[in-house]
Amino acid sequence: MVNQKPGFLAEKPGFFVKGGNVRDQMMKALSHSHADFTDIRLEREWRTTVQYRGKNLENLEASVGSGGIVRCLVNNGWGFAVFNTLADLPGRVEEAYEIARLVGSRTTEVVELAPVAPVDDVVRVQLERDPRSVPLQEKQALVQGYNDILLGYDPRIVTTQARYTDFFKEVTIANSEGSYVTEEQADVTLYLAATARDGQDNIQTGFESDGRMAGFEAVQGREAQAEIAARRALDLLDARPATGGVYSVVLNPRLAGVLIHEAFGHLCEADFISKNARLREVLRPGRRFAVDELTVIDEGYLPGLRGNYKYDDEGTPRQRAYLIRNGILEGFLHSRETAARMGAAPTGNARAVSYRFEPIVRMRNTYIDKGTVPFSDMIRDIDRGIYALDAFGGNTMLEQFTFSAGYAYEIVDGQIGGMVRDVVLTGNIFDILKGVDAVGDDLEIEGSAGGCGKGGQYPLPTTMGGPHVRIRNVAVGGRAS
Amino acid sequence: MSEYPVRKEEIDAAALLDRLAQHGEAEVYELRSAQVPLQFKSGKLESARSSQTVGRAVRVIKNGRLGYSTTTDVTDAQTVVENALAAAEYGDLVALDLPGEAALPAMERYDETVAALEPGDLIGMGEAIVEAIRAYDPEVEVNVAVGRTVDEVTVVNSRGLRRHDRRTSLSIGAMGTVTRGDEIVIVGGQRQSRRREEVDARALAEEIVERLRWSAETVQVKSGPMKVLLRSVGLAPLMLPLQLGLNGRYVYLGTSPLGGRLGEQAFDPRFALVDDGPRDFAPLSAPFDDEGVATRTKTLVDGGAVRQFLYDLKTAAQTGAQPTGNGFKRADLFTAGFHVPPQAAAATWVVPAGEEDLDAVAAGLDEVLVVENVLGLGQGNMMAGEFSNTVAPGFLMRRGEIVGRVKDTMIAGNVYTLLRDQLAAVGHRQEWVAGMVYAPGLLFDGVSVVAK
Repeated sequence: MVNQKPGFLAEKPGFFVKGGNVRDQMMKALSHSHADFTDIRLEREWRTTVQYRGKNLENLEASVGSGGIVRCLVNNGWGFAVFNTLADLPGRVEEAYEIARLVGSRTTEVVELAPVAPVDDVVRVQLERDPRSVPLQEKQALVQGYNDILLGYDPRIVTTQARYTDFFKEVTIANSEGSYVTEEQADVTLYLAATARDGQDNIQTGFESDGRMAGFEAVQGREAQAEIAARRALDLLDARPATGGVYSVVLNPRLAGVLIHEAFGHLCEADFISKNARLREVLRPGRRFAVDELTVIDEGYLPGLRGNYKYDDEGTPRQRAYLIRNGILEGFLHSRETAARMGAAPTGNARAVSYRFEPIVRMRNTYIDKGTVPFSDMIRDIDRGIYALDAFGGNTMLEQFTFSAGYAYEIVDGQIGGMVRDVVLTGNIFDILKGVDAVGDDLEIEGSAGGCGKGGQYPLPTTMGGPHVRIRNVAVGGRAS
Repeated sequence: MSEYPVRKEEIDAAALLDRLAQHGEAEVYELRSAQVPLQFKSGKLESARSSQTVGRAVRVIKNGRLGYSTTTDVTDAQTVVENALAAAEYGDLVALDLPGEAALPAMERYDETVAALEPGDLIGMGEAIVEAIRAYDPEVEVNVAVGRTVDEVTVVNSRGLRRHDRRTSLSIGAMGTVTRGDEIVIVGGQRQSRRREEVDARALAEEIVERLRWSAETVQVKSGPMKVLLRSVGLAPLMLPLQLGLNGRYVYLGTSPLGGRLGEQAFDPRFALVDDGPRDFAPLSAPFDDEGVATRTKTLVDGGAVRQFLYDLKTAAQTGAQPTGNGFKRADLFTAGFHVPPQAAAATWVVPAGEEDLDAVAAGLDEVLVVENVLGLGQGNMMAGEFSNTVAPGFLMRRGEIVGRVKDTMIAGNVYTLLRDQLAAVGHRQEWVAGMVYAPGLLFDGVSVVAK
């Protein structure tokens, strides 16, 4: 049996100690700080991974970790200290203070933090089956079962990937304003992929990917997903490569989510723009970016979805943020610092991927709100188009972005046609959302087994989604033309 | 009594190994890292971090089965030993042949002047870049990240291997943003090395200024096949699929298009590729890999023919090949660290310089699309060699002169087809590609371009 019962680290004097002593240590260290603002975030984590590749169990792992970060703000300069041992917390605060002092002496920036009322709270997750109490053998057997389905589906399947991860984290944040928050976070992911091969060059992968804030139960009973992934790999062998060009495109909810995450979400992270006056002019609230029907929301706290916690990594309660309402840019995602700089309220979007990093502005559950158009109406008047589904990933650099579909179908004369592969879409924020001319009457918000990356912090759990959407005049890359 | 818990004695890697080795063959990897990264945003210093971290990863083979576990607590042996043994109970049956002591290549990876850099020195380097770019145009928003790292790596195993090594690293990344109405021009660049004198902040600033100058005009290209020059990070869409295709792991899994083709002419005869694990001061270089196997310089492609695949211990055992010193704790472009199980991965790649002066070649051509970086790396069907990326930045060259930047433009193709049938010229001057590949520019014929 794996030594993973909840709280076992609490019995070890190396990092955490029994009872409320951690709080006392944090408070005492904070009280000695000379900085204008100080906070301390401590984390401990439990992880297991089961990963099959082909017939091999490539990794079976049970791991633990713990660490922390101190942030000090001194004369408008930030200093951070990262560590793995609590042995000398006042020393780490001193270290962060000295660095902040140096930064403060070399910057002309003014840094203020928007007010957040001090919180004293403990948030425990309720899981049907806490992964820490599920035997490793049960996890291994579950993934082996999925892998067997993938492998045995068809002789053309040459290899597979079946990966399960669970991650349980306890985060404690204390700051010099009197906040003290402990919150548990749970995350499970499942990635099922089959790679089929026909001859030397035709190598295709079908995959199904899911991530949730949930217990082990969320990944049980997924045999159908394994079959779908295997079937798709075979279908892709027969699919035509996309012909490059400009198309009318219909995105399924998962890919609509990736679009909005890449095309607009990142741009609305206020740390990109808060210090750039010209960019703020371009991205002024009140400017129209899309048709009336389009509304985009970053939701703070939807229990059950991936990356959903009550407080962000500055201890700010999470708020819902409207990025676009009825086609008009409404607001941004904020940390306390960007909120103060832009005269807004903090939205609870300051997130860190681990104790090794300071929180930066990140998305949570970003989605296009439900519209009114049924899917059948959406494709009816498309003569030549692409119906693109699911996502390999996406990437953005402010104005331009790209995202790739897991698979796609052509649309011919208003009908769904044959499967196409290698569909990668690109766009520019100043026109892509204006090209959205139909917003579906359905809505799905989902996580994947991957995560979002920014500033070296990867993979951060986020979810994204929306209804089906139709976009006119989208550039699709392709080697055939 | 102390206010804070008295910390127990650290249990060193060798002592932890002794505990594990009672149960079977075992290995302990340890990484202690001291990092100082700092950030400038919009030209102003924002923050600095001092990071002192430790991580351990252990592998144990009990009754032929492999278990893996990681921890950050160096005072506690019990948890990581129990976790590794629990994993080994159901782990993979594997004939992992852990290495014993062996000679290491002589190579340079520690620069005292990097280790001695104080936060104040790093701030000075960042300030110099901001000033140099702003001197060109005070309206440019400049973000800079500067960082230095000292890593201490230990690998010990039950075959008597005792490896310990120190490595330095210095990196600067800078990005200039110009906003003109709804045009947002972004130009970035980076330098990274284990040696201070190879990280030239001034050269980086000059490079960015030159790209900003090239971006003064935005020009349109027509969709269709074009001559495309890939250079700098613009080569990444080619290199990433090749790093899968030449990886012994994917050969073993049956998904590499190069599998079973050793000795075969898979590429244009002018194309060659070297995996240079012990290259002096390169960011990925080290005398031994993360499994303790000595690194070495290997020719992977020579005259267009496939010569060698990359192996870690496990893939070598599975295929009957020799380990090549390529077992690294890197899963993909975005995932690396002490917690990642070692797997076959590329070390520093070198594409030998060719004979063509690409400037002279381009001067004779009506139009060339010059691609120096792309969006969407790592997406799509890399295994099959497919790529489809938005160029950012990309520049249009007419008769050898840059006439402006292109936007909303994609290139697409297949790496294996491109390097076999469409290679027009190999440049004679090499450049670093994100500190990972040292390669000349490659000019291709008839690359599919889609512009909106």
